[in-house]
Formats: sequence, C-alpha cells, structure tokens
Amino acid sequence: MMNMEAVKAEGLSKTYRGKEPVEALKGVSLSINKGELFTLLGLNGAGKTTFLKILSTQLAPTRGAAYVMGYDVMAQASEVKNHIAVVPQDVQTYSNFTPWEYCYYFSLLRGMSKQETKDAAEKALRAVELWELRNRICLSLSGGEKKRAIIAMVLASGVDVLLLDEPTSGLDALARRKVWAVLRELVEKGATILLTTHIMEEAEMLSDRLAIIDKGTVVAKGTLDEIKGLAKEKFRVVVEGNHHDLNLEANSHTKFGNKQIVYVADEDAALKLVGTALKKGLKAEAARITLEDLFVRLVGRGEEA
Amino acid sequence: MNLKPLKDALIIAELKSIPDLKRNPSMVLLVGVISSFPLFYVLVFGGNISYGLVGAMVATISFIGLVAAIQDISFDRYVKIREMIVAMPVNPVSYSVGLALGPLLISAPGLVFFIGLSVALGALPILSIGWAVAMLILCWAACSSIGFIVSTYFRNASVYTLGNIGNILGLGLVFIPPVYYPEEVLGRMRWLSMVFPTSNVAGLIRYYAGTLPLTMEMVLIRWLILVATVAVSIIIVSFKAKWRET
Repeated sequence: MMNMEAVKAEGLSKTYRGKEPVEALKGVSLSINKGELFTLLGLNGAGKTTFLKILSTQLAPTRGAAYVMGYDVMAQASEVKNHIAVVPQDVQTYSNFTPWEYCYYFSLLRGMSKQETKDAAEKALRAVELWELRNRICLSLSGGEKKRAIIAMVLASGVDVLLLDEPTSGLDALARRKVWAVLRELVEKGATILLTTHIMEEAEMLSDRLAIIDKGTVVAKGTLDEIKGLAKEKFRVVVEGNHHDLNLEANSHTKFGNKQIVYVADEDAALKLVGTALKKGLKAEAARITLEDLFVRLVGRGEEA
Repeated sequence: MNLKPLKDALIIAELKSIPDLKRNPSMVLLVGVISSFPLFYVLVFGGNISYGLVGAMVATISFIGLVAAIQDISFDRYVKIREMIVAMPVNPVSYSVGLALGPLLISAPGLVFFIGLSVALGALPILSIGWAVAMLILCWAACSSIGFIVSTYFRNASVYTLGNIGNILGLGLVFIPPVYYPEEVLGRMRWLSMVFPTSNVAGLIRYYAGTLPLTMEMVLIRWLILVATVAVSIIIVSFKAKWRET
C-alpha cells in the first residue's frame, strides 16, 4: 500500500447470510488519499453503510481486503482503531449527557490523559461552535446541535481518519452548512474523511473525490468534474409549460408536472433550446448538469419520468 | 502490565453512572425504595425483619445489575453509541465490565443503607459484613453476566422487548426464590434456593449472620455453586463478547 493512501479497499464483498442472502457489496475497490474528503454516494441500501462498517472493523467482509492507514482491518483491527473514529448513521445522543461529557469521556477511552482530554474537548467544541452550550444536556439541544456534539466527540479524539455515515441527515439547511464548514476545515488541517450521503449538494460542495455506489457496485468514481464528464449530455434546460411543442427525444428529458428537465449535449444546444422555448411562450433556464442529474441517470434504473 | 482495559472499564462505569447520578439523583432513592417494598409487608403482616433486610440487600444489587446490563447494552445499540465504541481501541470485556460497574455505583448508597440498618438492628454482626459484601459482589457479577448473556442472545430484539425481558427476569430472580422469605418455607424443594444466585447469596448471608443454620458441607456446596455460576456466566460473556459481526 502506498503512503499516500489513508484507506484502500480491494475487491471488497459482503453477503449477509439468512434465508434469502443479500449481496450488499460486490467486489468494491477504492482508495482514499490522506487529507482527502471522499464521498460515497448511493441510494438507501446501495452498500454504503456496509462498506463503512467493514472499514471500522465492525463487520467482516465475505471476500476481499481493506486497509486503513496501511493496517489490515481484519488482521490488525487494534491498530486500525487507533486511527479511526466513526459517526454511525442515525446516531442519537444520551439525553442527559452534555457535549462536554461526550468529548471528555470518549477521548479518555482513546487513552488520552485528563489534561489532553480537556484541551482536545475545548478545541473540538469551539470548532463546532458548541463551547457556549458545553454544559447543556443533549435533551435540551436542537437536532443540529446534538449532531455537532457527536462530531465534536470524534474531533476531540484527534484521529487521522473519520468515517461519517450520513452525518447531516435530518438536519436543516443552516445546521447542515455548519457541519460542512467544520468538515472542510478538518480536511484543510490534514484529516481524511470518508463520508456517505444521499444529499447531492453535500457531495458536490464537500468532496475532493467521490464514488457512486449502486447495488453494491461502484458505478463511477473520480473528481466531481470527472464524474460529470461521464455524461453524454453536459447541459440541462428546465422548461416550464407544454413541452410537446418542443419535439423532444423521449430519453432526453425528465418530467415533473408541467416542468421538465431537458438534457442536451452542449452549451450551444442548451441556448438553442432556451431560445425555441421562449419563442413558444414557455419559461426556460439553462445550466450545466448537476451531480444529481448524473446520479439519477446512472442509478435510476429507468424510474425517472 | 497493560492497565488500559481496567482503566477503560472504570471510565465506562463512570460515564454510565455519574452523569445520571448528577442529573437524576432520585434514581438512588428509587432503587432503594423498590428493594424495601417487601419490608413494608414484613413489618405490617408480621415476619422476621432480618430476612427482609437481607432480601433488600440482595435485591438492591442483583435487580439493577441484571436489568441495567440488558438495558444498557440494548440502549447503546439503539442509539448507536455501541458502534462508535466498537471503532475505538476498547476491549469488549472492558465495555461489559464497565456497563456492569456503572449500576453498582448507583446501587451502592442503597446497599450501604441496608447494611448499616441491618447492623444497627442486630440482623448482621459487624464481623459478617466482609462476608456479606463478598457474596453480594459475586451475586452482582452473576446477575450482570446473566443480563449480558440475555442481551447477546436476543441481539435482534427491540430495546423495548429487551427492557421488558430484563424487568421480568430481574423481578423473577428477586421475588420468586427465597430472597425475602426463609428458604425453609420451600420444604423438600429447599434445594431450589441454591440454584438461583440471588437466593443462594441470601441464604449464605443469613448463615454468616447466624440466622440460618447450615452444615459445613452445605456451606461449601453453596459457595461452590455460587462461584461456579459466576465463573460459567463470565466465561460465556467473555466468549460471546466480540465486537466484529460476521
């Protein structure tokens, strides 16, 4: 394994046994560089959480291997645990714990001294803007504040690799952006973050690189531009009104009521379509395709309109 | 010598008890009150108060030991804190011991009160306090381990189901066997009192307090059964206490 890689998965597969076995991962190979924020994007049940659980030593893979900071997650779990911290999906707080107690106790479990723990807790709570609320019990905190308390807890641990499973799910836009700011700042300071999400804007705003996973298989990976480059149609035009007048190809548009997104190859085609639509008295707006557009086309399985 | 596993167990015990005690000190009272309910009936309807006090001591430590072991593990799974701890350099046995020690801290004030009251009322000689404490610790270890075994085997049960199972099992172990009442009542079935760690410990404490006459052989057998119960339970817990799922 190269020094640059914080996380590496080679042909990782996982089948959950049972009456009807479920193949959650099918030979996933990925590498995440040190100091990188890597996003794993996928629908619910795509295999994102399974991948994270294997990396965090909670789950044994059926086949393949995974390494964190050069350590094998199966054979060297103790070493891996010294380098990682996890925020599970839908994690909840102990209602009568304070943010301070979260940071304090869980850092002590990392083997830090009491003084180191106190310093780390203060730093982490200030970073997530919870210092003023450090002694309030979680029961009285908002959803966003609770989530930030949990993130402060993993920050205080001072580890190299953070594995965050949908850390902003259920948060409002403001709270989500506060968490984003904290995560990006951490990466600027050298942390490696593997984030799973199904919020496209989050992936677009935060990721250095990302992968799209579908039914346990990686269907695309790279930087945002590289991923968007996979699409044949680089532009989208949102048309409002009766689109039948535009004579569109069946596969190139998605319809929501009287609005439709039309995908076209380039800027010229987009501008031409906007012009045509405007002439016919329709509203139209052109833009580059979004990650969501590409995601839906890659994993939509023909469910889009 | 690596003291981290022990240190981790103590940290988990602290985090599982001190914040609760600070913000909800009435739980100490609650544990004591639940255990002392049967004393009310002993006092009102007649009976030997020393039997009731021994029962209260055993109930204070065993009920919360068992129930907390089941509820804490299932709750930690429910809120996913367990997943975070699994990814930390913490031994699963340290986690289990810490979870068991937390409730011990919560029940300690009640236990001290009942021991003190027993001594004051002449139900427990001062010289027998050491024996009583040793046996209560074994009882706590056995009940906590039973709790862990239950929560491990009912891994997929909901937090509510496990909570109910814990309460039923806890109440069953404390109120059905001869913990609050003399085991002589069972007649030919008296041997049953040795099967349950709660009534076995209650019987031994009464022996050391001088209220239950037992032959030396019977004391030895009771000790062996108690130690074996604890050992087997701890072995099962250690064997089952694995972080990684397959």
